[in-house]
Amino acid sequence: MTSVRKMTALTRAGITESLQFRLGTAVTLFANLIYLALVYYLWKAIYASSGTDVVNGMTFYDTMIYLILATAIFNFLEMFIVWDMSRAIQSGEIIMHLLKPMRYRKYIFWSYSGSLVMSFVQTFIPTFLVVAIITRGAIPMGWNLLSFAVSLLLALVVNYNIEMLVAPICLYTESTWGINIVKETIVLLLSGATIPLAFFPEGLRRVVDYLPFRAVYDIPLRVLLKKGGTDTWQGLLPALGLQLVWCIVLSILGNLFWNRAVKRITVNGG
Amino acid sequence: MSEAVVMKNVSKQFKVLNRHEGLKGSIQDLFSRDYKIVQAVNDVSLTVMKGEIIGYLGPNGAGKSTTIKMMTGVLEPTEGEILVNGLVPYKDRTANSENIGVVFGQRSQLWWNLPLIESFKLLRDIYLVEEKDYQDMLELYRSLVDIEPILHKPVRQMSLGQRTLSDILAAFLHNPGIVFLDEPTIGLDVSMKARIRELILGLNEVKKTTVILTTHDMGDVDALCRRIVIIDEGKKIYDNDIDHLKNYFGSYRTLRMRLSDDSWVEKVIDESKTDVMHVIAETQKTSRIKDIRLEEISTEEVIRKIYEGGQGA
Repeated sequence: MTSVRKMTALTRAGITESLQFRLGTAVTLFANLIYLALVYYLWKAIYASSGTDVVNGMTFYDTMIYLILATAIFNFLEMFIVWDMSRAIQSGEIIMHLLKPMRYRKYIFWSYSGSLVMSFVQTFIPTFLVVAIITRGAIPMGWNLLSFAVSLLLALVVNYNIEMLVAPICLYTESTWGINIVKETIVLLLSGATIPLAFFPEGLRRVVDYLPFRAVYDIPLRVLLKKGGTDTWQGLLPALGLQLVWCIVLSILGNLFWNRAVKRITVNGG
Repeated sequence: MSEAVVMKNVSKQFKVLNRHEGLKGSIQDLFSRDYKIVQAVNDVSLTVMKGEIIGYLGPNGAGKSTTIKMMTGVLEPTEGEILVNGLVPYKDRTANSENIGVVFGQRSQLWWNLPLIESFKLLRDIYLVEEKDYQDMLELYRSLVDIEPILHKPVRQMSLGQRTLSDILAAFLHNPGIVFLDEPTIGLDVSMKARIRELILGLNEVKKTTVILTTHDMGDVDALCRRIVIIDEGKKIYDNDIDHLKNYFGSYRTLRMRLSDDSWVEKVIDESKTDVMHVIAETQKTSRIKDIRLEEISTEEVIRKIYEGGQGA
């Protein structure tokens, strides 16, 4: 259980560190309000011009709940690993991380865990409660909450692994801004965070089904909102199973890529 | 005594892209396979015994940091063998890092936004230090330096001196066998330098920690190191006691003379070649000498001679 001590220590430090930036939370919440206002009016216009109440099986109401919760998840899961790692590489700071008595990928994950706990408490839970109260019953409150928690945890691991798969690219390109933007856009679009997957054209949707991104937003949201048959075991288990498979696959790929990429530091000094 | 570090014929080469000038050149570089090999460390062998403090010196770009990085495991040697505490550092980086401590000049391993004591607790947990050992170490720190004023201060609010002090304490916290200090006193004032030297000396004495120190400050060397290793252009050019150093390249002394116009003239004399009396006599031919001082050459001057003399010295 020795490694548990290392992990919890890092989580605790992350929480303490996040608590130093209380103002940051307020800014995030404010930015969200602006973003959500934009989303609201955009989709209102889309629904108004479509002429029907239900588009692709979703009402305006459904879409809004889906997108607001997606934003809440986005704030919760946002990790900035690509950004932080590239800065650490450029400044040489990464050496200090490599010299910690823990495997690098593990060390990074647990370093972030504290801030994840904080953003869950500070932004996700409030948003969730506000949505639940305002919509009065649109979010089912049953054992789906429990499966949602599991699904969200898996989403977190998938998201971390995507970040860790992209971040080492900056060891090869020496520039990160573009890579980060591309990653962000692809993940947000193909995961259903900006546009619910139900609105995707059939062909694209079939492609997206085979990509890991929907394991980050679409699956947890479906589980929470009991959509797509996830209110039965037959529907739920394959969904969670798919997330788990992506966790494992991405983690193996990420490990292989990292072990290769880190050679650029250890062999050529970064 | 047993060995803390053994390096056998270690070399390190870097592959560097030959960059071209201007916009056109930059575009060429995108597709260029035109690499040149830079030999950072060239066939260096070195053995450091447990408990030793060695000064690892050399001019800028001589390969000091590269050597240290190889010993810590973040760089792989191109050729040769390294053993640190019996481990091959780059193969076993995580295991190796449990038994080393590192301070890299202007870098910090502390958590920027946390009070120092929180960083200490965190290090205690990730290095799995027993609570008793941790308390003993803090007690030792208290006996060596006044840590109370900085213990509850967030690292980002510290002065450079306080931060360096904290980083050194952090590097020793898990009682590692070896601590690497890469230019620890860079940018510090005289009194902070003195405190840091005392601290390093004290920790080395009590904990028998091996210290490998790189520095450009000969004050550090004089205060801390009995043994000096000098490298230049990747090659080891000196490895011996500091006492030997002063007459290794000839027995130098500085002769200072005050002439009739009250100006001081300074001459560095190699006594194996010229005689001090001869120089005085020569000077007296042209001017009256009002005052004379004869000084032992400082470590700094010897080192400068070595650096300027290059490998041939």
